[in-house]
Amino acid sequence: MNQNQPQSSSSEGRTDDDSALSDFLASLIDYTPTIPDELVEHYLAKSGFQCPDVRLWDQIGSCCHSEICCRNCRRCSPVNCRHSKARQASIPKDKRDRQQKDKRLVLTMEDLSKALREYGVNLRHQEYFADSPSTGMDPATRDE
Amino acid sequence: MATREEAKINGARTETLITISNNTTAGIRGSPDDFGRATAKLAVAQLCEATGFHSVKDSALESFADIVIRYLIDFGKTAEFHANLAGRSQCNVFDITRAWEDLEAPRGFSNGMREIMNYAESMPETPFAQPIPNFPVIRERRNIPSFVQMGETPPSKHIPPWLPALPDPHTYIHTPVWDERVSDPREDKIEQARQRRKAERSLLSLQKRLLLCNNNRNPNRNGSTGTTTTIPSNSAIGDVNEDADVNMNVSPVVLPAKLSVIDGDRVSVLEAFAPAIEMLGNGGLCDEGFEGEKMVLPAVTERPTVHFKFRTGKKFIRESLDDRNRKKALHAILLVGREDERDDKKRRAEYILRQSMENPQELTLL
Repeated sequence: MNQNQPQSSSSEGRTDDDSALSDFLASLIDYTPTIPDELVEHYLAKSGFQCPDVRLWDQIGSCCHSEICCRNCRRCSPVNCRHSKARQASIPKDKRDRQQKDKRLVLTMEDLSKALREYGVNLRHQEYFADSPSTGMDPATRDE
Repeated sequence: MATREEAKINGARTETLITISNNTTAGIRGSPDDFGRATAKLAVAQLCEATGFHSVKDSALESFADIVIRYLIDFGKTAEFHANLAGRSQCNVFDITRAWEDLEAPRGFSNGMREIMNYAESMPETPFAQPIPNFPVIRERRNIPSFVQMGETPPSKHIPPWLPALPDPHTYIHTPVWDERVSDPREDKIEQARQRRKAERSLLSLQKRLLLCNNNRNPNRNGSTGTTTTIPSNSAIGDVNEDADVNMNVSPVVLPAKLSVIDGDRVSVLEAFAPAIEMLGNGGLCDEGFEGEKMVLPAVTERPTVHFKFRTGKKFIRESLDDRNRKKALHAILLVGREDERDDKKRRAEYILRQSMENPQELTLL
């Protein structure tokens, strides 16, 4: 798509793409992502990503990834807010207490899993840990 | 591509489950990826803080970090796949763009680059908190030097010389180790002299015993002859002689004047007792003088009581008149059978005998 157009179309398309690309690269030079370059480089090398121009691609990779993370976080926080608000609504008694508690936003597994489901990542975690397989079952069934 | 993405997602789902369970169980054992995971956790925590979260649950943090790592790996794999598809081994910006579109397609973004650009301009910069070294750290390996480098030739023909050298034999052969005794000639001489002295001491004690026995026997046989001679320095027995009771009965003891030395060290008992033999020869006691331990003592009744005086810690510097007289007599005898070559040895022997007679308790000091 992007690659086919410069080959077949006229020079205008190429210049557009080139300009877009050059703009994009220029904007990335200044940006310092939160995810460190060494980390990105390590995992890209682990996966077989080979590139001569290391710095640029690291920037790209980190930028992409930080965007994903931030997007997730952004999704998580409104989701969290939504969920916390939902919890508040369910139990109106302890409103004040809840409000005080919910002022501290805590990223929990529930919120994370819900936010990630939107991205297609199904994250399931254990709700509780049991000592044996028959824990919590009825005594009648346990005997069996 | 869609099926592949679905498989990836399914794989991600199962994999996330597995990794989560692994994270909970393998808490103590360290994996080689620990540093990367820790760094990712740190970065994710920083991101959450930037977004507005006050705290993060531990399990949520771990799974989030795991997702970050997975995303990176998947992104790299996708980009590499696209490069390989185009017949290249190294990726470029278009491969990355394609990979980005692949991973982001389910959400339906058309122009990925613009999205990233907008995001980069909008978000405030929050650099990573700590400086990270270039990891993974590669340890310098010291290779075992080859045969050529060691300067050795391989033991057999089938081993090429560029291979690493075989270990030294001392690493696999155990030979018993004995303490090397360094022979010190000086030490040896000292040891020899000590042993010689020991021998002389034992000889002296033997002679003393013999003389005592002779002394016991002499009054019985030679009582009145009085031709016996004594060594004047024999003050111990001289004291005995001076004793009133004994003087009458006990005649002076015959002691060998010289210790004739044969073979350098050994003292010939025969020659030492020659004068005694001569004296006793008249009495016909030649045989018994030599037996040493096996001496037939005369009957108890015949022997007179002998009183010994032992003086402790005193050496007689002064000589009594009797001793002097005896000395003169001794000298006469000494001149008879002496050889001039053995003067030193004789003098030494005399001195030793003198010392031993004076202080039997000081014998050990010799």
